[in-house]
Amino acid sequence: MTISKNELLKRMSEGVLEMEEDVVIEAANNYLEAGYPVLEGILEGLVDGMNKASVLYDEEEYFVTDVLLCSDAMYEGLNILRPHLSSDEVDRKKPTGVIGVVHGDTHDIGKNLVKIMLETAGFEMYDLGRDVPLIDFVEKSKEVKADLICLSTLMTTTMSGMETVINLLKEHGIRKDLKVIVGGGPISQKFSDMIGADGYSNNAVEAVKLSKSLLGLV
Amino acid sequence: MGNILTEKKRLFNSLSNKKVDRPPCICPGGMMNMVTKDLIDQLGVEFSEAHHNPNLMADLAELVYKEKCFENYGVPFCMTIESEAFGAKVKFGNNSIEPHVTQYNIDSVADYKSLPKVDYAKKRFAVVLKAIEILKGKETDIPIIGNITGPISTASSIMEPVDFYKELRKKNKLAHEYLEVVTDSLIEFALLQIKAGADVIAISDPSGTGEILGPKFFDEFAVKYINKIIDAVQSEGVPVIVHICGQMKNVYGKVKKLRSEVLSFDSIVNIKEAINNLPNHYIMGNISTYALEFGEKEKIQELTKHCLKQEVDIVSPACGLGMNSPLENIQTILQTVKGGVKNAASEN
Repeated sequence: MTISKNELLKRMSEGVLEMEEDVVIEAANNYLEAGYPVLEGILEGLVDGMNKASVLYDEEEYFVTDVLLCSDAMYEGLNILRPHLSSDEVDRKKPTGVIGVVHGDTHDIGKNLVKIMLETAGFEMYDLGRDVPLIDFVEKSKEVKADLICLSTLMTTTMSGMETVINLLKEHGIRKDLKVIVGGGPISQKFSDMIGADGYSNNAVEAVKLSKSLLGLV
Repeated sequence: MGNILTEKKRLFNSLSNKKVDRPPCICPGGMMNMVTKDLIDQLGVEFSEAHHNPNLMADLAELVYKEKCFENYGVPFCMTIESEAFGAKVKFGNNSIEPHVTQYNIDSVADYKSLPKVDYAKKRFAVVLKAIEILKGKETDIPIIGNITGPISTASSIMEPVDFYKELRKKNKLAHEYLEVVTDSLIEFALLQIKAGADVIAISDPSGTGEILGPKFFDEFAVKYINKIIDAVQSEGVPVIVHICGQMKNVYGKVKKLRSEVLSFDSIVNIKEAINNLPNHYIMGNISTYALEFGEKEKIQELTKHCLKQEVDIVSPACGLGMNSPLENIQTILQTVKGGVKNAASEN
């Protein structure tokens, strides 16, 4: 007996929200076998669940560990559905971002959350990891024609690297082509203004809203 | 005058409900690093070498006091010693970048049995212990604070933190077994620091925040294992400072359960709220390290006076100092703490 599309969408969404990878995997496979539209499965099932998780995170019902597990479940589902997207759905131009933790710091929980949230929101994200040499942000941004750079640090000691990245972007003549947002424990709006970044956000959910508004995607 | 307190006496008095003329002004070391580029340059050394050389480490710790920054000695100046002993790879940075872990040793909490056996006589453990002995040998009245990295921060520096956090739920039992091993080793290190001469032990666990873990895991993991260390240290008659990063409001009820004498907080925490919520702890805090690095002297005075007004038990920075913080800004905290007393006395 085939299960209705809405039922499977609901199972995928709830599976993500409840961090149940197995539920998501089974629902995604059933969804595919039944021949339902793939893009809808991603957006109304998997991403819907992740969006609900981010609302709970914003409301401090969910914490970082929960969001990480939700995203694992979402990515499991994406691995199943994504290869079946039609070619024009795949080629659709997505906003592109480069993200990383600046040189000197290896704390990347916040960065990982922002990346997950931005991917959920439809961004194509290039993750440079942590302890990233500053020039790499510039080079990667050129290579992928980034719309957005997200810089993170949790350490007061490495904050000044963010300003260096912005100066490097100017030197390479691409500062005007993209938006730079900053975040992390010691960072503030004041610091962001001081170094000439385009915006600051103090959590991952805000970072998505900020990125969308800076890029005029709202 | 017989009632002038030495730095050590003042700190100990303020940790035992005894009378003090004013709060002590300290910065423990470890994650709460107090060595800045100005001090390193003054000594003409390479910071990266001070992590390997007990004489340099002791000299820098002493200079912090001599330059009237803080009223304590504290070592080490990083939070990578413990994880390095468990096989993580560390880059030692330079005069403006602290040591940091660049490569992990295990992939999962399930692999904890393959961790190397820690040899406390070797590596940088020995450097820290020797530095404490050197400082102790000076026979001053300056309290020596030994530092260890908290259990969650250590455990998540030996393996990828994202996987670690997920496995707290997914491999709960193994995660506990792993943390037992890590905690036992931290206790060993703390006890050796006491034996070498540390008067106080500070534990910083920046990766074990309520914001990351949520109240349930904060209680189940951070509180449990930090308390285990606290108990061991206190059984030696030595007081404990615990520094917790991040916002507290979700976890005040759990933080209460930490059995340390002192709790230290991030600048994001409203100090009055902390004092009200935690009546059974001495509260230490919480001058913004952002202000210390980028603010004006007047701002530092204002922040320090605010802490004094809220009656914090110990005045300290809210986190590790930025390496480029100007010396004058750092010195302003202690000057203001001292001046605060003078002003109060003249009013009487």
